[in-house]
Amino acid sequence: MQLTRSLSAIVLLGAALAGGLARPAAANTAEAAARVTMFDEPSSKNIGVRVLHPQADVSATVASAVNFAAGYSADVVTGATPATFDTVSAATKFSDTRHLVHGGFGFERSDGGISFAGAYGWESDYKSTVISGTTHHDLYEHNFTLALAYSHNFDTVCDADNTAAAGLPLDRVALANSSGCFTSTPGYVTHSLQIDTFEPSLSWTMTPRLVLQGGATIQILDGFQANPYRKVLVGSQSRTPQEHLPDFRQRYALFARLAYAFPELRASVLGMIRGYDDSWAVKAFTADVTGTKYLGQSMLISGRAHWHVQGGASFYRDAMGYQILGPAGQYWTGDRELSPMGNYLVGGRFSFFRRPQQERSSWFVEMELGGKYEFLYYLPQSPYAPNADRKFAHIIQGAFAMRF
Amino acid sequence: MHSRFFSSLKLTLLVAALTVSGCSLSKWTVKPHQRELLADKIMQLDAEPQERAAEEHVLANREGAIGGTGTSGGGCGCN
Repeated sequence: MQLTRSLSAIVLLGAALAGGLARPAAANTAEAAARVTMFDEPSSKNIGVRVLHPQADVSATVASAVNFAAGYSADVVTGATPATFDTVSAATKFSDTRHLVHGGFGFERSDGGISFAGAYGWESDYKSTVISGTTHHDLYEHNFTLALAYSHNFDTVCDADNTAAAGLPLDRVALANSSGCFTSTPGYVTHSLQIDTFEPSLSWTMTPRLVLQGGATIQILDGFQANPYRKVLVGSQSRTPQEHLPDFRQRYALFARLAYAFPELRASVLGMIRGYDDSWAVKAFTADVTGTKYLGQSMLISGRAHWHVQGGASFYRDAMGYQILGPAGQYWTGDRELSPMGNYLVGGRFSFFRRPQQERSSWFVEMELGGKYEFLYYLPQSPYAPNADRKFAHIIQGAFAMRF
Repeated sequence: MHSRFFSSLKLTLLVAALTVSGCSLSKWTVKPHQRELLADKIMQLDAEPQERAAEEHVLANREGAIGGTGTSGGGCGCN
């Protein structure tokens, strides 16, 4: 079962450089962190989906100039998902595990830096290799920071051999299982997916308590992007071909972020707004705000709200629409990401810090223990939308970090 | 829904542009000794990348949009 289409390259870049660019540089510092996130999405019709996401990361900065980072994460998924996107939504149980290793290094100077990262992710039916690089440079007495990030994915996707259905998308059959993936077993093929992501941004330290950032994200995907297991009930003759998506997609986003300090409250607010458009006609708007406050010397609490609304892809119809009206062109999908819908997320987080009284005699500088809970609510536009039986999800996380 | 969405987006961008361009040009140079607040970890736009990676991992598979989750930089005031 495919757990994800691809590694999120920009996110990978941040994760791989955990000890690097975003942190004040000390002469020699190191960090080891472990985190477990549980994502639980109940269903009104079946057992829903549960994902356990453990991750472990280490990073180090040497001589204030060289950063190293490495990490491992996994997705352990169990649950049930509709085998066919239709109005009946009979579910099939599944379980699978995805693994990801990543690493990176960077060089820092007083007015800028450059970093490189790589990652390899694998699961039974999907393999992803990502390389990425980022550079940032401070301008005008460090009041502006110009950053450029680029990444490229070399992904491979397992699929059923639909050579006989070339040019006849209604005859395409879905992949039944992954037992023969990435082998020479007849009936299986491997598709390529290339992804280029470019993200320039400009940050402005506007006042002693306000930082603004604006930027853009451009992503180009070329290759097989459908869920190979997903069938879509199309038309009134009970035909259930494999989901069929265009091979090419261009995605664009403009975003603005801010950080504002409230020193009298020992608190801050971080915010983000984003507008998005792509060549499949998905338009979206996202807003995210997080408030964080110190409690005493050892405690940090934060609250977060996230809102996302989007329109559907040009070829999207809900299950009833595909059944009554047929496909909108030569493509069809049962993907919630391509449907018109909204997401609302609220949550809270705490972190407890312990710092030794006399650092010179201690073997660590700081110990952090944290946890968070978030509630994610979905608002599909139609009762026949993909995964309409799953209205909400719980996100629970525990984290532990040591800094040396 | 689309017209409301774009109206909201235009208004938000207008407010952001006015804020950026007009309000604080005289203050655009923040001196090193004024960066104490900015250096705090709760002011970092890209603090805790592992945490952000976990968050984005969840949302990226449930929303049809990407971007804006962070590149480096952001006025940490540490250089």
